[in-house]
Amino acid sequence: MASKRKGKISGPALLLSILGLVLLALVVIFFAGGGGEKVKRFADANLPKPPETAGGPAATRTVTLFFIADGDDLLHKESREIAAGPTEADEAERALTALVQGSEQGLVSPLPPQTRVRQVFIARDGVATVDFSRDVAEGFPYGSSSELAAVYAVVNTLVYNFKPVKKVVLLVEGAERETLGGHVDLSRAFFPDYSLVAR
Amino acid sequence: MFPLSGLAADAQDPAIRTVVIDPGHGGMETGAKGRFGNLEKDITLAISLKLKALIEKDMGFEVVLTRDRDVDVSIENRSATANNHKAGLFISIHANGAVQRKAAGSETFFLSLNATDEETRRLAYLENNSTDLQSRIDPSSDDDLMMILWDMAQNAYIKQSSRLAELVQNELDAMLGTRNRGIKQAPFRVLTGVACPAVLVEAAFISNPDEEQKLASSGFQTKVAEAIYRGLARYLRANE
Repeated sequence: MASKRKGKISGPALLLSILGLVLLALVVIFFAGGGGEKVKRFADANLPKPPETAGGPAATRTVTLFFIADGDDLLHKESREIAAGPTEADEAERALTALVQGSEQGLVSPLPPQTRVRQVFIARDGVATVDFSRDVAEGFPYGSSSELAAVYAVVNTLVYNFKPVKKVVLLVEGAERETLGGHVDLSRAFFPDYSLVAR
Repeated sequence: MFPLSGLAADAQDPAIRTVVIDPGHGGMETGAKGRFGNLEKDITLAISLKLKALIEKDMGFEVVLTRDRDVDVSIENRSATANNHKAGLFISIHANGAVQRKAAGSETFFLSLNATDEETRRLAYLENNSTDLQSRIDPSSDDDLMMILWDMAQNAYIKQSSRLAELVQNELDAMLGTRNRGIKQAPFRVLTGVACPAVLVEAAFISNPDEEQKLASSGFQTKVAEAIYRGLARYLRANE
């Protein structure tokens, strides 16, 4: 009798717990699987590229960044080592990120420090399109001089270092914008202006 | 109907009836900020109102402001105001801002355009300064072409704008006692669509504490307005 009762009770209980387990497994797979996919997609688009070197010395290249200085109104060159490859767009992205992060030699970045470089795309016709986060434009009190410095530090850095780049278009959060701060026209691609650079 | 007197009494250019003054920024868009809390938008409006009064008093032209109080005005509407009023001259007034605290001085800009080859070709036929641009843009052109042509209207006036910038800057240099940064070209959005000689004046640096205090004073604002007025008058006389 005892065993009968045991069997009677454990039957539905077993069924229930199996059902529960299956449900739990489904829920786990659903969230973990879905979440995992989301993370992966996000990683593809936005995370920094993994280091290219699997052993051996890391491949680097030297780029020239354009900063401003306290003593004058010109752009000043500064050399910087950045990780190389795999594409020039990747390198361009790193060069601009270094430009935002600032000088190692006492110069000053003309870009707001919170700015993120979201993406750089280099088209076959020589136009590089740079997409910045909104921080490049919002909450920064640009005057004509600081706005010109910000735009041409970016444009000069790209055209000077990356051979395929002839002109540069600036986007903010993936969209076209009239100006960064009410002055410089962003609707057309910029040629570099080396007349603003100190000799 | 347009009594001419004073400095511009001999200005006979029949095309110029209206001067449009553009006080930079406004409303939510403050422009550059000074260390003592002064805002570019307030200073540009104060100088513009003084300049308007001077021109109306001594030249008798109609003066139109792109804004006469602290409101947001889109850049598109600023050049549209000039073109809708058939402006003869367009003066955009700004106070400069730099990251470097020491940056100082006044400068006058006219437009530099990053035009593509194709755009340059399309514009080539507009570069005849003697005729009214309006009559040269064929209204039967398709909308896209019309847009491009109007968007680049300033290209047809670069030479006059350069001359106007030079004359205004000379007077700023003579009257303000600030560093003379000269005339420069830059791709400023507010100038691209203006269909008449157009300049952008940077009176001084609001980011420089000394110059900020000057810019905030009524006396300095009056001097800036007078200097621009004299530059305009010289330009008009030279174009008789």
